[in-house]
Amino acid sequence: MGDVVDTETLEMLKEVMEDDFPLLLQTFIDDALTRIPQLREQLDANNADELRRNAHSLKGSSGNVGAAGMTEICSRLESLANQSQLQEAGDIINAIEAEFGRVRSALNALL
Amino acid sequence: MSESSSLKVLIADDTDTDRMILESIVKREGHQVVSVCNGVEAVNAYEQERPDIVLMDALMPILDGFGAARQIKALAGEELVPIIFLTSLNDTESLVKCLDAGGDDFLSKPYNRVILQAKIKAFSRMREMNITMQEQRDQIALHNSQLLKEQAVAKHVFDNIAHTGCLGASNVNYLLSPLAVFNGDIIVAAMRPSGNMLVLLGDFTGHGLPAAIGAMPLASIFYGMVQKGFSMIDILREINQKLKQILPIGVFCCATIVDMDFSGRQIKVWNGGLPDCYIYRKDSGQVDAVSSTHLPLGVLDDKEFRDDYQTFPMNHGDRFYMWSDGIIESRGPEGGMYGEDRLKAVFEGNQLPAEVFDEVLKDVQAYIGTDERDDDISMIELEMVPADSLEAQEQEFTKHNSTAGLIEWSLDLELKPSTCKIFDPLPLLLNILVEVPGLRRYSGELYTIMAELYSNTLEHGLLQLDSAWKSTAEGFTRYYTEREERLSKLQDGGISFQLSHQTSANGGRLIIVVQDTGQGFSRDENVDLDTQMFEHSGRGIPLVKSLCETLRYSNNGSRVEAVFSWQQ
Amino acid sequence: MGIQSHVSKDGKELTISIHGRFDFSAHQDFRNSYESVEAQPSLFKVDMNETTYLDSSALGMLLLLRDHAGGNSSHIEIVNCSPDVKKILTISNFEQLFSIQ
Repeated sequence: MGDVVDTETLEMLKEVMEDDFPLLLQTFIDDALTRIPQLREQLDANNADELRRNAHSLKGSSGNVGAAGMTEICSRLESLANQSQLQEAGDIINAIEAEFGRVRSALNALL
Repeated sequence: MSESSSLKVLIADDTDTDRMILESIVKREGHQVVSVCNGVEAVNAYEQERPDIVLMDALMPILDGFGAARQIKALAGEELVPIIFLTSLNDTESLVKCLDAGGDDFLSKPYNRVILQAKIKAFSRMREMNITMQEQRDQIALHNSQLLKEQAVAKHVFDNIAHTGCLGASNVNYLLSPLAVFNGDIIVAAMRPSGNMLVLLGDFTGHGLPAAIGAMPLASIFYGMVQKGFSMIDILREINQKLKQILPIGVFCCATIVDMDFSGRQIKVWNGGLPDCYIYRKDSGQVDAVSSTHLPLGVLDDKEFRDDYQTFPMNHGDRFYMWSDGIIESRGPEGGMYGEDRLKAVFEGNQLPAEVFDEVLKDVQAYIGTDERDDDISMIELEMVPADSLEAQEQEFTKHNSTAGLIEWSLDLELKPSTCKIFDPLPLLLNILVEVPGLRRYSGELYTIMAELYSNTLEHGLLQLDSAWKSTAEGFTRYYTEREERLSKLQDGGISFQLSHQTSANGGRLIIVVQDTGQGFSRDENVDLDTQMFEHSGRGIPLVKSLCETLRYSNNGSRVEAVFSWQQ
Repeated sequence: MGIQSHVSKDGKELTISIHGRFDFSAHQDFRNSYESVEAQPSLFKVDMNETTYLDSSALGMLLLLRDHAGGNSSHIEIVNCSPDVKKILTISNFEQLFSIQ
C-alpha cells in the first residue's frame, strides 16, 4: 500500500480531521467516481478546457489524500489538456482509472 | 485563543475534499466558516456574511477565483479584506494573476495546517491594525473639521473685538490674510480723541490657536485704551504687561506701534522685534529705516520694559511702511530668502510713491514664483496727510448718547513735579469730561484743547522750552531731548487744572483754566499776551482758539482760561 | 540636523550645539538637551556654529532656556553666530537678555 497512498499524509489528515477522517476519504472516493466518467465525456466532446479543469480538481483532491501516483497522472492529463494535445488522453484516463482502483482499495482498508 | 479574535472565514473551493480539510483546520482554530463552491457564490456570500478573511481557490467553475477576488475587493471599498489564494498552480504567471486580482497571499497544496494558521493570524492582526488606523484617521478628520469650526468661531469672536478700526481710512493701505490671526499676525488701528492715528502691527510666535490667543487681549486693550485717550506708551505698557502675564514663556509678540500726528506732522515709532520699518520721503525719494530697538512685547516685566520711542517729522505725502518678517523671509524656488536688499531695491526703482506698495507685493510674488498668495505676508502703508482730510472718519465712541451724568460741577487738580514726570493727566480728565451728557460728542475737540493747553503749560511754562527749535530737524530732536532732560530734573512748581461746567438752555459751557508756577513767557509788556503766545507756541494755540469761544492768557502767560460752549 | 549637548568636566558649563535649521521641529530635542542634564551648570553656551537659520519659535525656545537657567540671574552665551543668525537675534534685541558673540 505504501506506493499507492502516502502514510504520512494520511496520518496528518487524521489528526486534522479527527472524527471526520472517514467522511473525508468517502468524499474523495465519491468525488473521483463522479469525475472519472466526466473525463471520458469531456474527451469525447473534445472539450479540452473542461477536461483540464476537471483533471486539475482531481489532481488536487488526490493530492489531499496522499495518492501520489494518481496525482502525478492527473497532472500529466492536465498539462496535455492545457496544450490541447488530446491524442494520448484516452490512455491516460485509463491509467487514472486503474490507479484509482488501487487507491480506493487502500483507502477502503482504512474505513 | 480569545473569543474576540474569532473570525468569520469564507472558503471558496470547488473540490469537496479541499473544502473539508480547510474547514476542519479553520474551525479547530475557533473561527466561524462559510463555505461555497464557486466564484459567484463566493461574491454573494461575501455580500451577505461580510467575512473577515477569504480563502479562495483559483480555478473554479462559473466564475474563477480571480474574477471573484476582483468583485470582492471592489465591494469591500476601503475596508481591508485579506484574500488568500489556494493554489497548486506555482508558475510565476499564475501567481502574478492572483496578485493582479487583489490577492494578498498564497497557500499551496497540500495544505499545511501550521502555515495556514499562521497566515490567518497574521492577516487578522493586519486587519485589526487597519481598522484601528481607519478609526484614527476618521477621528483625525473629525477633529480637524471641529478645529476648523472652532477656528471660525474664534475668528468671529476676534473680528468682533478687533474689527477693522480705522484701517479703511484713505491714508491707509494694508495687506493681511483673512486668517492672519492664526498665523500670528495682527493689525489694529484707531483714531485717538486727539485726531492722531494709532496703528499696531504684531507678529506672535507660533501658529494656530496658540498664536491667536494673545491677539484677543491685545486688540481689546488697544481699542479700549485708544478711545479713552491714553498715550501710545500707556497702551504699549498695558499690552506688554498683559501679554507677559498670560502668555507662556517662549510665546511673545514682535510688534511696531506708530502714533501719527497729522496736525503736528510727525510720527512716534516704537519697534520691538519687527524688521526695519521704512519712511519713504516724497520729495527726496529717500528711505529712512526705523530699526527695532526693543525686545518684543510679552518678554519683559513692566518694570524692565523700555518705552522710549523715536520721533520723526513727516511732510504731507511722506509714507511709512511696516511689515512682519513674512516678506523678507519669503522663500524662492531655490530655497533662498527674499531679503532686505530686494525690498530696498523696489523703493529705489520706484517712480510713483503711490504705487510702491503694489510694486513690493508684485516683486515678492515674482520671487516666490507661484500664483498663490503667501498667507504669511502682512504689510501696512500709512501716508501723512492734512488733518482735515480724515475728518469723515466716524468715531464709534462718539455715538454713545447717555442723558444721565455730570451736569453742573467743578473740579480742581494739581500736579506736582513727581507726578508730571510719570503721569499723563489727560485720559483721567477726558474720562470725566465725557461723563457730561452731550459733551461726549465733542471728545475729539476737548482732547485737542486739553492736550494743547497741557503741553503748552508743561513745555513752555514749566520747562521753558522754545518751540522755534522745532522748525529744523536738528532742533526737533534737541527739543525733545531737552524736554526729557528738563522734566527729569524738575524739582519745584506744578501745574493745576480747574474745570467747571454750567448748563445753558440748549447746551452748556465748560471753563478750563490751566496754570503753572513758572514765570510765564511774556517778555514785552506792550504786546498783548495772546499775540505773544501765538508766536511762541507754534501751531497748537491757534488751533485751540479756533475750537473755543474764548481763550485768554494772563499772569505773564502762566495762566490760561478757555471757554468751550456746546449745543445739544 | 540635530542638537548635541556637552557638560564640562567640572559640571559647571553646558554647551548646546545646534546643527542645521533651528526651528519648531527642534523643540523637543532642545528642551531635552538641558532638562536631561543631571549637573547644575552655572553657564550655558548655545553654539550656533553649525546653525543655518533660526525662526521666531527658536527665539521662544531660547527664552525657555533662559527661564530654566534662572531668568534674570541666568548666564547664557550664544556663540559663533553667523551674520544671518546674529541679525535675527539683533532685530529682536536679544542682546538685552543674552550675551551674543
